[in-house]
Amino acid sequence: MNTNAEVTLQTIEEAARTLAGHAIRTPVETCETLDLLAGRKLFFKCENFQKSGAFKFRGAFNAVSRLVRSNEPTQRELHVVGDSSGNYACGLALAARLCGVSAHVVMPNNAPECKKQIVLSYGATLIQRERRQDFPQTIKQVQEMTGAVYISGSQNPDVISGQGTMGLELLQQVPDLDAVIMPVGGGGMLAGVSMAIKSICPDVRVYGAEPEVANQATLSLQNGERFVYSYVPRSIADGVVAGIGPVTWTYIRDNVDDIFTVTEDEIKNAMRLVSERMKLVVEPSGVVGVAAALSDSFRARAVGFKNVAVILSGGNVDLQKLPELLLM
Amino acid sequence: MDADNVVTLKTVQKAADTLSGHVIMTPVQTDETLDLLSGRRLYLKCENFQKSGSFKFRGAYNAVSRLVNSNGSTANRLELVAGSTGNFACGLAMAAELHGVTAHMVMPDNSPECKRQMALSHGASLTLCEPAAQEIARTVNQVRDATGAIFISGAERPDVIAGHGTMGLELLRQVPDMDAVVMPVGTGGMLTGVSVAIKSICPEIRVYGAEPEVSNCAAMSLEKGERYAFPRFPQSVADGLNGNIGKLPWTYMQSNVDDIFTVSEDEIKNAMRLVWERMQMVIEPSGAVGVAAVLSDSFKARAGGCKNVAVILSGGNVDIDILSKIL
Repeated sequence: MNTNAEVTLQTIEEAARTLAGHAIRTPVETCETLDLLAGRKLFFKCENFQKSGAFKFRGAFNAVSRLVRSNEPTQRELHVVGDSSGNYACGLALAARLCGVSAHVVMPNNAPECKKQIVLSYGATLIQRERRQDFPQTIKQVQEMTGAVYISGSQNPDVISGQGTMGLELLQQVPDLDAVIMPVGGGGMLAGVSMAIKSICPDVRVYGAEPEVANQATLSLQNGERFVYSYVPRSIADGVVAGIGPVTWTYIRDNVDDIFTVTEDEIKNAMRLVSERMKLVVEPSGVVGVAAALSDSFRARAVGFKNVAVILSGGNVDLQKLPELLLM
Repeated sequence: MDADNVVTLKTVQKAADTLSGHVIMTPVQTDETLDLLSGRRLYLKCENFQKSGSFKFRGAYNAVSRLVNSNGSTANRLELVAGSTGNFACGLAMAAELHGVTAHMVMPDNSPECKRQMALSHGASLTLCEPAAQEIARTVNQVRDATGAIFISGAERPDVIAGHGTMGLELLRQVPDMDAVVMPVGTGGMLTGVSVAIKSICPEIRVYGAEPEVSNCAAMSLEKGERYAFPRFPQSVADGLNGNIGKLPWTYMQSNVDDIFTVSEDEIKNAMRLVWERMQMVIEPSGAVGVAAVLSDSFKARAGGCKNVAVILSGGNVDIDILSKIL
């Protein structure tokens, strides 16, 4: 069983079977206050409850699991390596541990402390670098030393298929779904979920959400070709500042209805609402979809939408930083 | 007024009917890390997800609903007054608003800002007073004299306690092979209601209370064999539990409660941090006291045989802005 070359409904359904009993089929929660503010019924998919604290575990586990199965004939000791601003590192570290594989993760120096701690607690090797430009070189070094297989956190098709399983679950969990909104960074979640949903219910709208200051997905869709900033934007939503990758771009271009951008204050407001009203611990990147759902631009587009699902992508946040993250 | 004078399985079951469709049947969650740390399977009842952010809404709604029904056509002229460290004020304010009834709250001046704001946001009027039992009682009487409002006791009123008891009925359905249930104790309303529900149906299930060491009136009362009350409120980080054990709860405690475990301030903060960081849920310090108890050495020593333990996370109303001060 080799790595899939592409992402289809079949590969996503296969991923669902691989994840069954390993990833959590996270609950969908609702909140009357947020319904009132949004002007419609919102259904929050709680991936902050996912193993390792974010949805990234799904894609990581699918990819590592398939790698192990394809490696079985050789019985070679497996190493995997990945680069990540945080949550994919956590997901990969845990997936590797559960599959009996050694993991090496490359993270930026300024990644949240809690994410570094989680990676270490799962027994992965953590390599920190000051600049993202140094990541490819570092990954090569790890590969030379250990023979590690590089698994991209957003561009690997098995990873994307794993993320797509959220789309399958949403269609089962939310009756009469009109639209789904989720944060977009590298685009793995958006690519996988849009493929799952459009393959089964093409009438359901699929939207991405990103910070205004990191609006690569928006510009890409507008221009009709992938656009990435030459620098790494700085946003409170540290998990979604990366631009869409070449693989995820093709799926997003073909399957996504639109991307909404939100200000830093809108993200902070959404954080406050979800923490205070829903009693959920979420990280800033995790509520970018919520911010979009509450925004004027979404309201203008969503006329007639009654039931909108919003993916809360993760909850790995430094508690000491929480008060300052909420300050507007 | 048509309030029952005692708390029985029947009054709890009646409360469940009244609450059906109005309170949230909160989920029970599990966590591998907490199981590992406690050495047993924990089932956490998420009352932080309850309406108004804590279980207090259950008792408040039951009481207001029964009052409105027994007052018939004059119900819309009803005014209510209550004294509360915080969460009962939030629950009662919300229950009153839902029934179209006016509510007046009396709260200590060191109560969390978010709890005051929530009571106000549901249309209640708010009077602050010194954090002492007699001050609260005095101020409640003043409001009562000025407005003719009916006093709703969060600790002594049987239909409030019966409302809280509905958590016991839910736990019996939600937790397989439950050996024990642990919950925080302040004035003892939850402990009374839940213990009546559970002991009436499955008397072999252990019912445990959990208290801060610095606010240990329930533990002291059990030890002394008579009700003990602090004259001035203790100052535990678990602000919701700084009140004294009530008279009515005390009459049930000796027969229905198997033990009370006390925990240090650090144990409470550690438990709160664990639930925030591992379970990604917002709970307030008081809400973490049951978790702190099951993780404690004394629980392992005195209740170590319990394998499947339900723990009530009583609420999640905490001022996130001052989290660093709390933790």
